[in-house]
Amino acid sequence: MLSNVVQAAGLVEGAPVLWYANRGSGFVLLGLLTITTVAGVLAGAVPGSREWPRAATQAMHRNVGLLSATFLALHVVTTVVDEFVDVRWWQAIVPFTSGYERIWLGLGVVGLDLILAVIITSMLRHRLGHRLWRGIHVLSYLAWALGTVHGLAMGTDAGTRWGVAFAAVCTMAVAVAIGARLVSLRSAPPSAGAPKANPVTTHRGMP
Amino acid sequence: MSASTRAPDPARQQLTVDWQSCDGHGLCAEILPELVHLDEWHFPVVQRAVPKELERLARAAVVACPKLALKITKP
Amino acid sequence: MSGVRVAAGQGTDVWVHEGPRLLADLEHGPGLAVHRRRSNGRQPWPTSGWELAELLEAVDLRGRGGAAFPLARKVRTAAKARGRPVVVVNAAEGEPASSKDSTLMLLKPHLVLDGAQLVAQAIGADTIHVVVPGERPSVQAGVRTAMADRADADPVPMSLHRAECRFVAGESSAVLELLSGRPNLPVTTSRPSAVSGLGGRPTVLSNAETYAQAALLARDGVDAYCSVGTPAEPGTRLLTIDGDGDRPTVLEVAHGTRLAPLLAAADADADNGLLLGGYHGTWLPPAAVADLTVSAMSMIEAGAAIGAGVMLPLRAGACPIRRTAVVVGYLAGESANRCGPCKFGLPALAHAVRDLALGAVRSSERIVQLMDAVERRGACHHPDGTTRSIRSMLRAFPLEVEMHLSGSCTAAAVAVPAGAW
Repeated sequence: MLSNVVQAAGLVEGAPVLWYANRGSGFVLLGLLTITTVAGVLAGAVPGSREWPRAATQAMHRNVGLLSATFLALHVVTTVVDEFVDVRWWQAIVPFTSGYERIWLGLGVVGLDLILAVIITSMLRHRLGHRLWRGIHVLSYLAWALGTVHGLAMGTDAGTRWGVAFAAVCTMAVAVAIGARLVSLRSAPPSAGAPKANPVTTHRGMP
Repeated sequence: MSASTRAPDPARQQLTVDWQSCDGHGLCAEILPELVHLDEWHFPVVQRAVPKELERLARAAVVACPKLALKITKP
Repeated sequence: MSGVRVAAGQGTDVWVHEGPRLLADLEHGPGLAVHRRRSNGRQPWPTSGWELAELLEAVDLRGRGGAAFPLARKVRTAAKARGRPVVVVNAAEGEPASSKDSTLMLLKPHLVLDGAQLVAQAIGADTIHVVVPGERPSVQAGVRTAMADRADADPVPMSLHRAECRFVAGESSAVLELLSGRPNLPVTTSRPSAVSGLGGRPTVLSNAETYAQAALLARDGVDAYCSVGTPAEPGTRLLTIDGDGDRPTVLEVAHGTRLAPLLAAADADADNGLLLGGYHGTWLPPAAVADLTVSAMSMIEAGAAIGAGVMLPLRAGACPIRRTAVVVGYLAGESANRCGPCKFGLPALAHAVRDLALGAVRSSERIVQLMDAVERRGACHHPDGTTRSIRSMLRAFPLEVEMHLSGSCTAAAVAVPAGAW
């Protein structure tokens, strides 16, 4: 119905606006989600400096995350509204229920659900407490991965050289960020001397 | 004697640190250097009483803490 | 004088002297029958929290665990607060130099348990938790037997718990954490436990000796209780004295008694300085020790606090700086390692004090800087207790500190006996 309106709005007949919007938003989404994830990983791994404090990386993570959410919404809406492929609105929320490309679309839907959970828990972070928030937030890695697989499997541009190159660059960026985080975790902070600073028996017979 | 040891002013909002949660990320000191500075091990030294003009920044620091370790209590 | 084993497995005996109240009639043993014979026919117990609080206030009974908080206030608060109250008997001790609670639980468990039952019934508690030290299995065994012997007669059910083997295990919030099934470590609390403690319920948590004193008071009445001690501080208290003699001594002392003769009776010196209050205590120079009496006020006047009654006199020829270095090293290792300033600051402090003890530094500036950095930053008072011993050492022994800053030690020639505190 909406596509009729769009076509009636005077666009070139047969031009699949919604499909372009869907395809484009999917593409941009991969980039935005990659930036969001990388910023999130690095916020904890890279110490702040005067020029670029940790708070700045954190703010970037939040803002790009919200921007990603906007594009995700656009991506989902255009899928549902576009009549070229038959995806009903509930099939965009409940995974593996669509007739069209059940598996690959389904993975994307799982990613969407995870991102929704991440966003909601982040907004309620102070009420939920740190542990619950973190438990859900860790799933964003999975959401990113599922989105990437979904895009590579279904994306119209996934077959092109630059499409693949873009996906490769995004994947490498996330991998490098995770690597940097693991390295920074491994080199534990200097403990200012061993905790047992004086292993002398301090009381009779009691170490 | 550090600033955090003065008796609390009942009219002002108070900043406190939940020490078990604090991991020394340091975002509080970045956002609110007027009231928070980091010790030699990167943990916050916090001035308890929040002047009125810094209340907004103090709230931002509380929101920014990755471990939810900074708390603000109303007077 | 009887000697009692309180640390099984390591052969540490403790000398326990007979006392006027708590440690009376030791030769009859800790059994229930003997205890009942002594207690029967005395005054009836208070039946309400209010009545009990009045009784406690008549003698201003303070906690014997170190904080000296009035028990009456805890009782009043818990009796009024929302929820069914809980009683916790803290015999976890924690401090390795203290043996008074272990001694009491081994020799007079029924006095302590009577006190717990008394408080529980008065405030309407439905359960009593007794916490004993993890590193003293003989105490656990003794208390388990005592509790089993009286289980049928007691209205309020009691359960026994083992604390973990660590210094901070006896701290109040750490005990509540243990009882809640979490690690036995201190946490930040927003409300006093008498208002909201174990499981959010009003909790009266007090030292084992405090309950024993309450039981004595209820049994003998105010006048008899006040017949010993001073008008301002009636009654007695338990002390642990460890002066590098043959073994530590636990004794019961009336308030107002001079401390110096007690140290001599415990085979210890009063002439070389004293660490008053245990490892979190205050160093006092010899001149201050001479005038001390066993009284909260006398201790406060000397700039110290009686704490849990642990007296650690320095032996002739021992070096207070070296002793402090050993104590601080131990305390640094006992950090719960949860709060940054304590986890990093205490080991740094231990190194700094050791450097001073070795005569390797020319200024105590680093020590002072570190003490300022760790105090009042953390979930509990472990850092503050640690710095107390260092600050008081600097104040009490300026001559020795000067010597160390110029590279020598007053006691360099004397070897420290192995196993000394």
